[in-house]
Amino acid sequence: MENKKMEVSGINRRNFLKTSAALGAAATISGFPAVLRGAAPKEILIGSIQPVTGPLPDIGIAMQRGNKLAADEINARGGIKSMGGAKLKLLLGDCEAKEDVGRTVAERQIKEGAVCLVGPFLSGVAMAIATLAEQRNVPFVIDVAALDAITAKGYKNVFRCFAKTEFFMTSMARYLDLIIKEKKVTIKRIAVTNAGDAFGRGQGAAFIKYVKDKKLPFEIVEHIEYPLGVKDLSAEVAKLKAAKPDLLCPVARPGDAKLLIREMYKQRLELLGIISPGSPGWYEPEFVKDMDKLAYYVLDNVPWVNPKSPKFQEANARFEKLYPGKYLDTNSGYAYTGVLVIADALERAKSTDPAALREALRKTNFKDHPMVGGPVIFDEKGDNINAATAMVQVLPDPNMDDRVKVVLPKEAAQAPYVFPWKQLWERGA
Amino acid sequence: MNTDLVLQLALQGFLMGGVYGLIALGLSLIFGVMRVINFAHGEMMVFAMFLTITLLLFLGLDPYISLPICAAVMFGIGYLVQRVFVNRILDLPEAMQVLVLVGMGIIFENGTLMIWGGSDISPKTSLALSAIRLGSLTIDVPRLIAFVLAILITLIVMIFLKKTTTGKAIRAAADNRFGALIIGTNINRIYGICFGIGAACVGAAGTLLVPLMPAKATMGAPYTMISFVIVILGGMGSLIGALVGGLIIGVAESLGTVFLPSSMKQVVSFTIMVIILLFRPQGLFGGRG
Repeated sequence: MENKKMEVSGINRRNFLKTSAALGAAATISGFPAVLRGAAPKEILIGSIQPVTGPLPDIGIAMQRGNKLAADEINARGGIKSMGGAKLKLLLGDCEAKEDVGRTVAERQIKEGAVCLVGPFLSGVAMAIATLAEQRNVPFVIDVAALDAITAKGYKNVFRCFAKTEFFMTSMARYLDLIIKEKKVTIKRIAVTNAGDAFGRGQGAAFIKYVKDKKLPFEIVEHIEYPLGVKDLSAEVAKLKAAKPDLLCPVARPGDAKLLIREMYKQRLELLGIISPGSPGWYEPEFVKDMDKLAYYVLDNVPWVNPKSPKFQEANARFEKLYPGKYLDTNSGYAYTGVLVIADALERAKSTDPAALREALRKTNFKDHPMVGGPVIFDEKGDNINAATAMVQVLPDPNMDDRVKVVLPKEAAQAPYVFPWKQLWERGA
Repeated sequence: MNTDLVLQLALQGFLMGGVYGLIALGLSLIFGVMRVINFAHGEMMVFAMFLTITLLLFLGLDPYISLPICAAVMFGIGYLVQRVFVNRILDLPEAMQVLVLVGMGIIFENGTLMIWGGSDISPKTSLALSAIRLGSLTIDVPRLIAFVLAILITLIVMIFLKKTTTGKAIRAAADNRFGALIIGTNINRIYGICFGIGAACVGAAGTLLVPLMPAKATMGAPYTMISFVIVILGGMGSLIGALVGGLIIGVAESLGTVFLPSSMKQVVSFTIMVIILLFRPQGLFGGRG
């Protein structure tokens, strides 16, 4: 009222004094003591860092959307209740898929007042941010990034919701064994390909090491690594063909997955199928749409959304409404989970103090998430002990958005899996 | 060693080399005539790729049909870029020219990002998946067509430069700018046309690549680099050099994967560049050095 009057009449000395006095008094009574007590801020800043541009924009954008979906949901439910309904505000950062940029962005977000960081899809970038978070004593919740080495040093501020490489490999071996027994097929010769970034290299090497260490009855007949963002894989596929593998186990990214499949079609690489030990490339809407029939029957061992969980159904419905033609997958699903985990910890910490938040994160037991696997519980190194993988497969379905199906484990399966696959050139594509 | 594999790789590299040659042709022509290096070359190619994809998705035009359209649009863009920007920097020191052209590259890349976004896009085209089998060899049809058309376009450009009045004027301007001015050549127009032809060549190459690989807004820079390597190999300003250089680099990169890990593919082409710079700095077909 007073302000309005001032606007109309212009500021004169008497009004100015009156207003200042009133404001001062109000501040003294309500504001300052509250601040001194360390009570609830109106907004809690969280730094979200994803590779929104660079070689992996589809994934980066999907993950940022996952982060936002969770933050909006928390805010719509009334914010962090233990802090007087403080709202979450995401500082959106782009690491451009580069380690150094990721670190710089994280540094800036911390300066801007981020109390916690979330991200960043890429293992290399996650390493860079993890060291910074440890230095600056800011909790860092990794939504997606699998490389074992990130948490191996036992940083006290780093927590990972996603499965680490080791989990991928044990479940890959279990599923492989099951598939061979159930379908009565002989798989002897395996070829491995991977992109040359930190995750691709780590994941590819971990799979080969696992096969050798556990003396699994397979021979790795070819291992090919190519640079991230490669634009021609014809020579590589020719090499694969010369190696005559029964099965291809690729660690890919969206662009090279498309190149690989098309080249395999043209060069007629005969296989029993593709089973990825766990990598993107094979389930994104862009891949399913562009490749159509050629996308069918690829099996991918990835942490995945649990299609039967009500939480998934509810969140995915909102996601699909916001972004038509997109759906929650392993990446956007974990991005969503990451922010929910932070909100849960903030609720219990009742404070944005790093030590309190870290303590709360350490005691996390978060069930209400949309992914396959049990509640999020972090071990002493910060790894989620209940992160699990599912086998997903692209199967024929008139509706593009419904083609990616969970096929293993049986309790989450939406459809029976197909193996061996139908050769690419026999599909009438 | 597996002979089939080596043959297959050599063949694939050779066919790809034709397209490399076409990309480098534009760069070589522009350098040969104006003495500027078009650092926006790869980005212009990517722009043309997206143009092709747009025509395919919205009008249903197959890349081989939209090729002349894309080349014409790129000619126009090249002509404008030359008249508006490049013409003003021709007499400036090289470092300043580089800044402007690198800036052009950034504008093209981000323009592409703004219009088409950052995803890998590879829509279905009619011949993208066809291949011919000859015994154990596979010939990729889109690659073969790209090769044939690339050679054809190169020949057309060469004949144009040798036989037509405009072509002769371009060559005159390249040989002696001052002399060309004295005999009344409209040098600005000639330069504009020349840059336009360079852009049209790289635009055509972009169109030919659409059935071969997913397009992505940020993929241009390596193509600028590779065409630069090819031009150095073939000889700066030599058109036949660009073609031969393209073929050599294509085969070398492809065969390199037999001996080296794929992630080190580029080592091959840059090694060739270093060797050429050491022993024959004027390039294979370069006269003036």
